[in-house]
Amino acid sequence: MSTTVTLQSKVGVFAGAALLRLVLFAAFPSLPDLLTGRVEISTPVTSFKRLQEGLFLYNHNVSPYDGGVFHQAPLLLPLFSLLPDVKTWPIFTALLYILVDLLSAYALLVIADSGEAGQSKHFTSPRRAKRSSGLLVAAAFLFNPYTIASCIGRSTSAFTNCAILFAIAKALSGSPFNSMVAISFASYLSMYPILLLPPLVLLAYDRQSDKRRIDSAVQFSLRAILIAATCISLLLAMSFALTGNSWDFLARTYGIQLTLSDLTPTVGLWWYFFIEIFDSFRAFFLAVFWLHLVIYVGGLSIRLRTQPLAVLTILLGIFAVFKPYPSISDTSLFLAMLALYRHLYPIMRYTYVASATMLYATFLGPAFYHLWIYAGSGNANFFYAITLVWSLGQSLFVSDLTFAVLRDEWEVERPDMVGKEIRQI
Amino acid sequence: MASGEVEQPQASGSSAPVGSDSASPAPALPPPEKPSAVRQRSYVVLSFWLVVLLLGLPIWWKTTAIYRAELPLDSMLKWADGKACRPVFPLQISIQADALQEQEAHNLIRLTQHALDDLNDFSGHHLRLQLAPRNAPLPKDDFRTALTIRLQPGTGTSASLNQESAVLDITYPPNYVPSLTSPSSPLASYITNELRATFAEEQSIISYLLSTSSMSTGVRPQGLSAEAAEALSKRTTRSLRYAPTYHLTFSLFTANGVPNTWDIEAALDEYIRPMLEVLRPIHNFTIDTQVQLYAVPGVQSQVLSKEHLSSFINAAEWPLSPSIGKAPTVNFVIYVGNQTVALDAETETSQSWMIPQWGTVYLLSHPDTVSHVSVEELKQPMLTFGGHLLSLLGTPQSGSLPLRLSTLGRIRSTDLLLRASSTLGSLARLSLALPSISIPRSVADGVSKTMHHLELACADLGGPEGLMHARIAEEEAERAFFEKSMVGQLYFPDEHKIAVYLPLLGPVFVPLILGLINEIKKLVKEAKQKALDARSKKHQ
Repeated sequence: MSTTVTLQSKVGVFAGAALLRLVLFAAFPSLPDLLTGRVEISTPVTSFKRLQEGLFLYNHNVSPYDGGVFHQAPLLLPLFSLLPDVKTWPIFTALLYILVDLLSAYALLVIADSGEAGQSKHFTSPRRAKRSSGLLVAAAFLFNPYTIASCIGRSTSAFTNCAILFAIAKALSGSPFNSMVAISFASYLSMYPILLLPPLVLLAYDRQSDKRRIDSAVQFSLRAILIAATCISLLLAMSFALTGNSWDFLARTYGIQLTLSDLTPTVGLWWYFFIEIFDSFRAFFLAVFWLHLVIYVGGLSIRLRTQPLAVLTILLGIFAVFKPYPSISDTSLFLAMLALYRHLYPIMRYTYVASATMLYATFLGPAFYHLWIYAGSGNANFFYAITLVWSLGQSLFVSDLTFAVLRDEWEVERPDMVGKEIRQI
Repeated sequence: MASGEVEQPQASGSSAPVGSDSASPAPALPPPEKPSAVRQRSYVVLSFWLVVLLLGLPIWWKTTAIYRAELPLDSMLKWADGKACRPVFPLQISIQADALQEQEAHNLIRLTQHALDDLNDFSGHHLRLQLAPRNAPLPKDDFRTALTIRLQPGTGTSASLNQESAVLDITYPPNYVPSLTSPSSPLASYITNELRATFAEEQSIISYLLSTSSMSTGVRPQGLSAEAAEALSKRTTRSLRYAPTYHLTFSLFTANGVPNTWDIEAALDEYIRPMLEVLRPIHNFTIDTQVQLYAVPGVQSQVLSKEHLSSFINAAEWPLSPSIGKAPTVNFVIYVGNQTVALDAETETSQSWMIPQWGTVYLLSHPDTVSHVSVEELKQPMLTFGGHLLSLLGTPQSGSLPLRLSTLGRIRSTDLLLRASSTLGSLARLSLALPSISIPRSVADGVSKTMHHLELACADLGGPEGLMHARIAEEEAERAFFEKSMVGQLYFPDEHKIAVYLPLLGPVFVPLILGLINEIKKLVKEAKQKALDARSKKHQ
């Protein structure tokens, strides 16, 4: 009885989310193009508009990177050239994006239902009873306005997010091979997910199925890394063949992310900084910003060894703030993962402040961008200030979650301290 | 930002005394940390520092290292000090003496050369005589030979410069021919004096150039009186700075609506272009023309006095752009009006005057009723412009046109050589004075190219090759000196680096360093404890 109810409600949530998106696509034909043009949704490396440009060049047998605006992975091109032209048949592209969102939600459902957030192999949270149901997590993702906006805006980061979520879901369901393949796809599309590899390998190691178990951690990780490396090499080789046997695409896709040569504003912190920085220090600070992303991976993986999923969630939050071209799509992924930790909400301290900050930035961001670009009564500092607030809100969430996870762990060790105030020493 | 390491002290209460009695913990004190937690924290700190040390440090080293290409500083300074090249102008002068016997001619040349060498006060300027083959045609445009002397028997001694080519015609009475034994001859001394007179201006200009440059150490400006030096410096200030290309603008300004057409193309073809053709080995020229009606001059008075001339050009309203493109502009203005110039200047005619480093103004009187200016009317202005152009380019005043032009070539070569050398010297001193300035590879390339071409130019200073090499050398030296990426670094003192590094890296490093210090403290404590334990064990 209860299984049918949950099945029914699952179908209801998924169908509702799909219908909502379809209605938005169909009832407001100009909405997708409007959202595609927004800097909050479309970054130079995920913009659908730029993809169209690359696609046009690709379909006319010109190197897609010759236009200088397309910076996305080459394998997206054959996929989109299979679809009917987006101008005449926008519905097919819409259906593809809706499908990708539903798949992501499905992966989240699997992740939530595995119960990993509350109980991992080496750690059992005393609060796990209150963890959120899979359906709720999927619904929180599907009906999150940020997710809907990036879906309607057809940002290609939807594919990356889907691949990341599937990598986690597959690792949880005990198929490390599929997990590695999925993370390779994500890394191939956006490069930064490669940093998720260490915690993901740990997660997959912890959740191996009994049938094909490898007890040695070193052996397991070597194998996983080998699989990921092979898969990425295959994808790169295919791209090599696709772009007329040239490696140029590397510099035009990953090179752009590494050097930030496209200074289009985003909701992130990089663009303004690298407009202002002295030229002679540009290379150094690029390295510093990238190392800043890298540096958390090791420390978090070691400290939260018992909860690899928490490491992944925190890292996704950090990336959504500090990666070179972030968008609200990355935030939606982090918030979706955050929903898994509902049992920790009572010990998080700043949820109200953080959500208020993010809401504030969400409403003022477009207004300040308008003032700067269209009204001309503001300048770049307006928009940059609001992106700082946005990043502050997100980093509050990240640090609060980290605190809650550590506190949860600590209370297992010190049951006498449950509910007591902690103080910094 | 949030990280395991920063949160660590909050969650685990790291002030717990290590080795406190675990059997009866004081109620206020938290229990000791588990060894696994301690080890874990060490690993976390280690993982952060490994990234910093293994990736951060090398990247910092590599991306902020200032690239300083190796510059041949010694030889650059040598060039600047004039030690690398002694400017020598071996001028070949061939003598055609078809009327003399071979023997006599050789003797005459030997005597004249002796006289010249004795007289010579400026070692750089070498006149070398040689006998031209008999009945040879006159050399045309041969830069090897600076001057040809045609000796012809006549009734008296006379000398005249050929206006068409570099030829000096000298006639002499038969008794002037030296006998084979005599140690001196009136003809030889006559030729010597004529040659000296012909090349006097060039010699003084070049020695002036050398004396004003930093290369003057070896060369003393001899026989250069104060007035002569002043005249030369006036000449130098009047002439335009050297450029490979000049832009000539010919403008017709009229006080009212007529005249509104002029035959400028035909006039240019007739009077200006042939001269530009001759100047081509030294400069390139581009030309444009314009007609402006109802142009009001800066001075309205009927008779223009000397003071008025400087403000005659109405710079605010007349469209005389300072320079079109990269090349400097030389302006030639014909003003149709009824003004005249008060005749008191020595060099200006009553109708035109030259504005130093800018160009020439010509006042053309033209009937009010005729709306067209014909080629005939333009002849005089164009000839004036031609003459003034030569002055503006720095051509010497005396001598025939071919001689003046070949002299101009030599003066320009010297000038460019000196300029390139002093730029090299400045670059060398700059790179010595500012150790933090970056020197890109392109600068080093430019310097080596400059030196290569300077050597070639120095080897052949008199000829057209020398001029070409000097031109390239000067261009390369300027480009190397004004390299953009080098200039940007100039104004970046070391103190500013704090302002660049600290705002971002300061906050990042505070937790990193504090964590490291805690770890080290703990290690030291453990080592001490171990030593203490070992000692107490020994005592037991």
